Amino acid sequence: MPSPFENLAGPGKPLKAEPRDAKEFAGLKRAGLARLKDAGNTDLALESRFDLANAAHALCLAALRWHGCRSANRYLVFQMLPHTLGLGPETWRVLAKCHDIRNLGEYEGDLNVDARIVTDLISACDAVAEKLDALLPIASR
Amino acid sequence: MPNLGMIMPNMGTERTRSRGKPTASLSDALFSRTQQRLFGLLFGQPERSFYATELIGLTGAGSGAVQRELARLAESGLVTVRAVGKQKHFQANPKSPVYAELCAIVRKTVGLAQPLREALLPLAPQIHAAFVYGSVAKRRDTAASDVDLMLVSDSLSYGDVFAALEAASTTLGRTVNPTILTRREIKKRVEQDSAFVKRVLSQPKMWLIGTEDAVAV
Repeated sequence: MPSPFENLAGPGKPLKAEPRDAKEFAGLKRAGLARLKDAGNTDLALESRFDLANAAHALCLAALRWHGCRSANRYLVFQMLPHTLGLGPETWRVLAKCHDIRNLGEYEGDLNVDARIVTDLISACDAVAEKLDALLPIASR
Repeated sequence: MPNLGMIMPNMGTERTRSRGKPTASLSDALFSRTQQRLFGLLFGQPERSFYATELIGLTGAGSGAVQRELARLAESGLVTVRAVGKQKHFQANPKSPVYAELCAIVRKTVGLAQPLREALLPLAPQIHAAFVYGSVAKRRDTAASDVDLMLVSDSLSYGDVFAALEAASTTLGRTVNPTILTRREIKKRVEQDSAFVKRVLSQPKMWLIGTEDAVAV
């Protein structure tokens, strides 16, 4: 059976195969972790912490890049988490929901965030960060 | 047993449902197991047509049982059959005299409410109230609509809820989009005149756990 990566890659499909790049991986990871750290700062407004924690996207993209893929749409990097990092719906669905909330906020001016969603978003990000840390380093060329 | 070339009548009684969850549900009283699964799809998503093998796969029921049931449904006019290439597509028939009633019964039982209720059961002690709102509750949903689910809980996290709902979401073939609010948060947002909470509270709801009292402020 073809893997989900093979299923979704190819002409007209959202995933593209692209060789891994140690520098890009490190950059995405660093940027994601820096913002995630600031998202934990309770002095900031909830909305700001929510925005910062949405940097989870960089971490999830790093995971996808580690597998030698790139995605044409933002949502897919979350959906692929079960395959890229072995994380279940308790993580990826939370990130996907926050992504939707962010879009509603950006485009319809209706940002509905509370302590609950920010706390859960940050713990989902932590789960991603932990798994990402466990990936073997990419050999630099 | 070996095939002896004769017809052995099956005299066994139907297996009692002693395993698993208590099943004295509305759904069991109204429909057989195969009917429940089949009706859940056909009348739960009446805007969608299904082909036979798809229904067999989605219901997980025996192919013979599903085929028999489909034949009866088609014969009675409850369901229409349309040939698409080599496949036969089955769809709830809006012209049948009990179409609206069947859709309503199915939504309140096997189609939506019951799978969600069962999925939430392990979390029930932490839930004050749960209801479906939005296009599904308003009966204006399409096949692509999310199921908007409101949970009133002071302790549940989104992670818990998504983990519990994943299987039901797959069975229903729809994305379930939960929102968790604490009782305090609801009260606060009503006082702040939050557009979202006001809109949700004034909409039609399909209750899964609790009643209107739980969100009275």
